[in-house]
Amino acid sequence: MPAWVKGAAADMDTALSAAVELLGAARTPVIAGLNADVSAIRAAYDLAGRVGASVDTLGAAGTYAELGALSRVGAMTSTPAEVVGRADAVLVVGSAPWNAALSARILDARPSRGRAAGSDRALLALGGSAPQGGTTIPAENGILPALALLRAHLRGHLADDSPIAGAAERLSGSLYVAVLYDPAEIGEFGVETVQGLVVDLNDRTRAFALPVQGGNQDRAVVPVAAWTTGQAPRVGFGRRVPEHDPWRFDAARQVAAGEADAALWIASVPAPAPDWLGRVPSIALMGDAAADAAEVVIGVGVPGRDHGGVLWNDTRAALTYWPAQGAGAPADLPSAAAVIGQLAQRLAGRSETAC
Amino acid sequence: MLSVIRGGRVVDPTASRDAVGDVWIEDGHVIEAPGREPDRVIDAAGCVVMAGGVEVHSHIAGGNVITSRLLLPELYVSEAAPEGHPFAHAGGAAAWIGATYARMGYTTAVEPAMPPTHALGTQLELADIPLLDRGALTVMGNDDHLLQLLRDGEGANAVRDLVALNIATSRGLGVKCINAGGASAFKDGALKLALDDEIPCYGLSTRTIMGALLDAVEALKVPHPLHVHCNNLGLPGADDSFMATLDAAEGRRIHFAHAQFYAYGATDDGKGFRSAAERIARAIGDNPQATLDIGQVVFGQTVTVSLDILRQFAGRKGANPKKWVVNAGDAEGGGVVPFLYRPKGPTSSLQWAIGLEIMLLSPDPERTILTTDHPNGGPFTQYPRIIHLLMDKGEREREIAALPGVVGERSGLPGIDREYSLSEIAQLTRSGPAKLLGLADKGHLRPGARADVAVYRDDSNRTAMFTAAKLVLKDGVPIVEDGEVVEWRSGRTLSLVMDADKAMAKRTDSYLTDRFGTGLDSFTVPDEAFDAPTFEAVPCRV
Repeated sequence: MPAWVKGAAADMDTALSAAVELLGAARTPVIAGLNADVSAIRAAYDLAGRVGASVDTLGAAGTYAELGALSRVGAMTSTPAEVVGRADAVLVVGSAPWNAALSARILDARPSRGRAAGSDRALLALGGSAPQGGTTIPAENGILPALALLRAHLRGHLADDSPIAGAAERLSGSLYVAVLYDPAEIGEFGVETVQGLVVDLNDRTRAFALPVQGGNQDRAVVPVAAWTTGQAPRVGFGRRVPEHDPWRFDAARQVAAGEADAALWIASVPAPAPDWLGRVPSIALMGDAAADAAEVVIGVGVPGRDHGGVLWNDTRAALTYWPAQGAGAPADLPSAAAVIGQLAQRLAGRSETAC
Repeated sequence: MLSVIRGGRVVDPTASRDAVGDVWIEDGHVIEAPGREPDRVIDAAGCVVMAGGVEVHSHIAGGNVITSRLLLPELYVSEAAPEGHPFAHAGGAAAWIGATYARMGYTTAVEPAMPPTHALGTQLELADIPLLDRGALTVMGNDDHLLQLLRDGEGANAVRDLVALNIATSRGLGVKCINAGGASAFKDGALKLALDDEIPCYGLSTRTIMGALLDAVEALKVPHPLHVHCNNLGLPGADDSFMATLDAAEGRRIHFAHAQFYAYGATDDGKGFRSAAERIARAIGDNPQATLDIGQVVFGQTVTVSLDILRQFAGRKGANPKKWVVNAGDAEGGGVVPFLYRPKGPTSSLQWAIGLEIMLLSPDPERTILTTDHPNGGPFTQYPRIIHLLMDKGEREREIAALPGVVGERSGLPGIDREYSLSEIAQLTRSGPAKLLGLADKGHLRPGARADVAVYRDDSNRTAMFTAAKLVLKDGVPIVEDGEVVEWRSGRTLSLVMDADKAMAKRTDSYLTDRFGTGLDSFTVPDEAFDAPTFEAVPCRV
């Protein structure tokens, strides 16, 4: 089992003891990353609740662009399979969504279900470039102004013969419009504008937004956080009551401000560790462990590869179970959930002795 | 361990029992008096002893419930955690739900709307609700796969096999249909739907889809009858939709969800509504194969969550506060619309009166089950207050006196003298729902029953009495004492024993792969996905 304490190889027991010392001495620890399967996410919240830590996620910038807009104005959304199967017009906002696997599925097929079945699919790119056959809508002044202009045209507040006016007309005349965006790219105001635009379109036709977020397990964390604490992921337990505060419990901010005095970084699904991890006493549970990533580093199995686990499934837009591949994990590679469980157990034992 | 709950007023309508006596418990079950000395004596003098409460329709898990928390972070208040569980006082969270039900003496709760596409997420969330046994109903009726089978006239066996496969894959406890065809129609431009309107692209109607599901549920011997959310929820004239749906069932067993929201007879000008409680109650009396739950409205802020996206889209302009979510999902999706039942408002007062009226006119409380359709009519935490109003005419009169005159003008509530007995409350909240779900060992205290027992201090203030039980046993183990949780144990998730047809599984795998890019494997709910043993098998009817 790969584990290191201050860069030196260690056995599991030594690494766990060092981690318990580090966490046990902390007054305001943060638990961050949570790029992991549902078992590990559950274990992380349980540990945070018991030690009074705060929680943050790998993809929080995008997650909170989405959640901020959601809690302000709501949303009107669809799913990947519905967009592939039904949309006769797809508006892609920004450039990030073109990199998602979903874009290839959209390009490959025509609508096959619902009232647009069999018709052509119009592709419109705003703030990015459309593939051949699609329409690129220029956004010289940025995505947000272009979105606002498009919305103004849809509401009839503007009338001209610009490409944006043409796009508005095309969308209004479609039977099922999908608007794809990456919240991390367009930000909270961008998401809010997209949702407003979609709601406006529904006075005339059916239209839905579809956020495309890749590269992290935040969309597994969000539901687990919601059912565990009643709130979105960024929660602090320092006062024995879950307090949701997206600004306060930004782990990077807490470390920069000197508020956090220890960190537990969890990335059993491999992800780059953040710069700030080295600035506080830290523990890292990693699927691709590197000796110098933190003061205490424990290598853990990758869910869906070394052991089974529930992960966010981008293709299905749902939590699904991923069994271990091949023979599964080497016997000495624990799951992140098991390590976090051990930490909680040892910390509980420690506080009992202390009392 | 042999225990006896001694000297309480034991109320078990299934045994015509309502007298002071003992309840003996061993190995997690109720037994006959064994003629041995007990290891433990629980003194219940001055108390009422009932089976644990059983909830048939409460939105306690799933995508809509999660969205509602994210849309309205301010809806619930969190308080400092008690000893033993870090999240039990986190308002609206799974642990809070379990603890709050348990404190009221409920020991089983069913989430009525589990979309098969999101079964695993829903089941994981349910499993995190402590203290209670729980279950979920598998929702069908808007999915393209089913609608294709019906459009292509594939026949009853194909539908039966697809329903069986969906129950087995999602590990449901029953089947529900929600405005069958409505979500599909909405995506294709429809904004309203009646029983015989054509669903675009399929040439079907709610009648045909629901009829096929009614047949499938009977053919599979699912204990719980098809759980039906009709068309036109909440609209004036919805009572006609209710009656038409009952007729369309043609004598087959059927359960109506949140009937209060359909007991709205249109006024002569067609704009307003008046109570149709009498019509609904009479229909239940005339149709022993039919059951309903109420969906009682209570005053205050709440959030409506429903897979009926057609209805939720139509209701978006009434959102209060003014924000809402409609997710046109893979079949139904979901709609989340915040709503304020205005205290003393004329509309909400009438809705409040109609729910009570249905229960007070009920010819058979076992078939008119208490729910608030949590959180749609209001939170389940209001059950004790509702029970109080049912049991105490004076209390009702005091509340009615503070409400607008419309309550007397458009409902018959003020003229009703009936007061529920404790036995009838037990029918409404215990034996009725347990029978409805086919849970033979729940909802009663006869030998063989699971030792899920609630002991309440007898108190004429029924609100106080039913809010905080003196003692609650789950499988014979005390989980609540004097209204506080004393043991954080986990219940089980009840799921039907259902074999899936191999040919249908193969065919569905290929359909799903084509549509979703991943096959049947990604829709399953395997034991390995859970951190602890979770499921308990419930047999089908013989």
